[in-house]
Amino acid sequence: MKFFRVAILAGLFALAACDRAAPVAVPAPLGLPAIPAPPDAPLLKARIELGRSLFMDRRLSHNNTLSCGMCHVPEQGFTSNELGTAIGLEGQTIRRNSPTIYNVAYVEQLFHDGREFSLENQAWGPLLAGNEMANPSIGYVVEKIKALPEYAGRFEAAFDGRGPDMMTIGLALAAYQRTLVSAGSRFDAWRYGGTAGALNAEEQAGFALFTGKAGCVACHHVGEKTALFADNRFHNTGIGYANSMDLPRRHRVQLAPGKFVEIEDKALDAFEKRQPDVGRYEVTLDPADSWAYRTPSLRNVALTAPYMHDGSLATLGDVIEFYDRGGIDNPHKDPLLKPLGLSVAGKKSLVAFLGTLTGDNVPRLVAEARAAQPGEALPAKDPASTYKRAY
Amino acid sequence: MKPSQLARRSRFCRMVLAAVAIAAGAPAIADETSCSPFTPLIKGQEDLVYVWTLGVKGVGDGSDKLVTVDVNPKSKSYGKVIHKLSVGGRGEIHHVGLSDDRRFLWGGALDSNKIFIFDIGSNPAKPKLVKTITDFVEKTGFVGPHSFIAMPGRMLITPLSNKKDHGGETGIAVYNNKGEYVAHHAMPKEGGDGYGYDAGINPQKNVFLTSSFTGWNNYMMDLGKLVKDGEAMKRFGNTSVMWDMKTMKPIKVFQTPGAPLEVRWSWKSGENWAVTTTALTSKIWVYKQDAKGEWQVKDVGTIGDPAKIPLPVDISITADAKGMWINTFMDGTARYWDMSDPMRPKETYSKHIGSQVNMVSQSFDGKRVYFTSSLLGNWDKKGKDDEQFLKVFNWDGKDLKLAFEIDFYKEKLGRAHHMKFQARDLSTLKPLESAQAVLPLLAQSR
Repeated sequence: MKFFRVAILAGLFALAACDRAAPVAVPAPLGLPAIPAPPDAPLLKARIELGRSLFMDRRLSHNNTLSCGMCHVPEQGFTSNELGTAIGLEGQTIRRNSPTIYNVAYVEQLFHDGREFSLENQAWGPLLAGNEMANPSIGYVVEKIKALPEYAGRFEAAFDGRGPDMMTIGLALAAYQRTLVSAGSRFDAWRYGGTAGALNAEEQAGFALFTGKAGCVACHHVGEKTALFADNRFHNTGIGYANSMDLPRRHRVQLAPGKFVEIEDKALDAFEKRQPDVGRYEVTLDPADSWAYRTPSLRNVALTAPYMHDGSLATLGDVIEFYDRGGIDNPHKDPLLKPLGLSVAGKKSLVAFLGTLTGDNVPRLVAEARAAQPGEALPAKDPASTYKRAY
Repeated sequence: MKPSQLARRSRFCRMVLAAVAIAAGAPAIADETSCSPFTPLIKGQEDLVYVWTLGVKGVGDGSDKLVTVDVNPKSKSYGKVIHKLSVGGRGEIHHVGLSDDRRFLWGGALDSNKIFIFDIGSNPAKPKLVKTITDFVEKTGFVGPHSFIAMPGRMLITPLSNKKDHGGETGIAVYNNKGEYVAHHAMPKEGGDGYGYDAGINPQKNVFLTSSFTGWNNYMMDLGKLVKDGEAMKRFGNTSVMWDMKTMKPIKVFQTPGAPLEVRWSWKSGENWAVTTTALTSKIWVYKQDAKGEWQVKDVGTIGDPAKIPLPVDISITADAKGMWINTFMDGTARYWDMSDPMRPKETYSKHIGSQVNMVSQSFDGKRVYFTSSLLGNWDKKGKDDEQFLKVFNWDGKDLKLAFEIDFYKEKLGRAHHMKFQARDLSTLKPLESAQAVLPLLAQSR
């Protein structure tokens, strides 16, 4: 009898293991093309779940205070609605807004300046950046994960017996992020699903402007069968130029709800100065790329405020006003930007249209992220104290 | 809640009830000026001041530390650093609080979330680290343990943030005197914003009052960057909450817009009003019961020119509640307010202390006033304006006269933040009458 019980249990475990080792079919939602994934990095359930745990684990920062999910907050559009530009370990300044990672699988050049092209490689950028999660080395991260009991056996199960290392950690994080596809919005139902009533007249008028007079579609592409709302290219709108050139400005500062004061930059001379940021130029060293930043997708854009690479525009209305003015003039400004002369009603309809791009699976993706529940207990010893060469 | 937790909570409630019942008939009591009413007070000359000091990379050992300074004018080492105890790392240490018997000092770190418990009773001149609590986030879900307010057998802890998004929603937590987790409660969001900061207890009224600041995202950010970040500036607390001390449940949420910070109670007999100031809107707020016994709040004064954001930070109320020091960080100024009529206070004196000033503590008799410079590691000024000091003044009611100062950079210490006084001989201290009466209960709790 005992033998049978053991055999049944073993069978169940084997089935479960098979289930976790089988490739997961993540169907592209209505409005998006098939999810790109490297042929040698199949989406396995065990990898996705492992990547989700790693993504939400605060212990992956050097001092155990920051997870990926602290800057890419699930409930805040997988970005941070509460900060213009992010801050990292010990409050260090990060120059740019946390980009949403919804639909990051479709992004060909990652980060605002496109300095990485694979999610597997990209994962190590924030882990090691001194002003982000600030781990001292790759080995430190690997050894720390090895020491955390919550990960015991999980890498081996996901990667054919291979434990935590630089490659498997990147693969796991990439696998999870690749599943954060979100579409099936009201717009998709209207445009690709044949539901004529899914958008109201104002929203449809907004789409007409988007693809017409306003010219948004020139960078935020919409295809016949799918729409990424991005072009995977880089553009100079002038915001980066204005920041770099310290164009004089006054800041409208909220002291309390409905109560503001205006102060000048010089009033803040005793504090940290704005850090230089020349955008795509920092990668290519081509002056023509100065202050150019990657076009973000507009899917779920209603959830991902504040906007632009520096989070300087609070609302979609502010963004439309900015483009209606033609951006900020500078020697490298994208020629696509010019004053648009939009009417008040037109701007309102554009905002209404953008509000129809919220995916139908957002609550599920948020709930799944929170279900990860990584532990909090710290390793008994600092990872560096357990370094041991395996050969 | 587990049965053992229920039992502990029930016993705690009985103790608090007893303390309240005893305190209700107690005569006027006072603090020096921010201690819990359950903590024995130094009513004469303080011997030592502990300065909870943030480590600065490249300054000395770069580590957070507890610095002990001899402040008794009769001592040979008066005005000198006599002991320093590094705790390792830089965790954005912030406030300290005394235990209910004044034999232990709890100090929190807003970034690492560690809570350090020092033995300051065995040898007050040489504090010893006896425990480091590392389970605060795990047990509560909160981030940034800020204030430590002694209750009978317990420590009430008010954090600033949460582990979910590092925003301002948070709660309150209770640990026992052994440093073990007991319970936690969320700040109310109904009518409030869920934010937290400081707490002040009034056992005579069976209440405590909490204020609200901002989350990790903001308190860890450079202040200049923060002021320019429109989204971040929307994330400050605008409410304060009166709680039932016995049940640990909110009684009333007040609208006090602009980040209400330190909470102080007047212990003058029959008054029972509390005061706070709002950092961003530069207002003084007084909480008082109306004729029906309901707590109300009123904006009673304006500090400096709010348009220039002077940033009122720490306050220190006199033992007789007739006056209050208010520091404004941006202009480095200490301001004395006449609080004889708390509903119509007046600024009567001001003095420039340094390029920046944050904490202020006064002796029980109000004759000695202590100032330190650091607000938060990343909110302090940069460059030449980043002065770090302890400055001790004598106050004759008319003017502050410098007694001594210590340059915390020159001494390779770091950023000088929160202060607590101590006596070398604890046996001479006379605990509050209310606290004395509950001593048997305190003993029972251990």
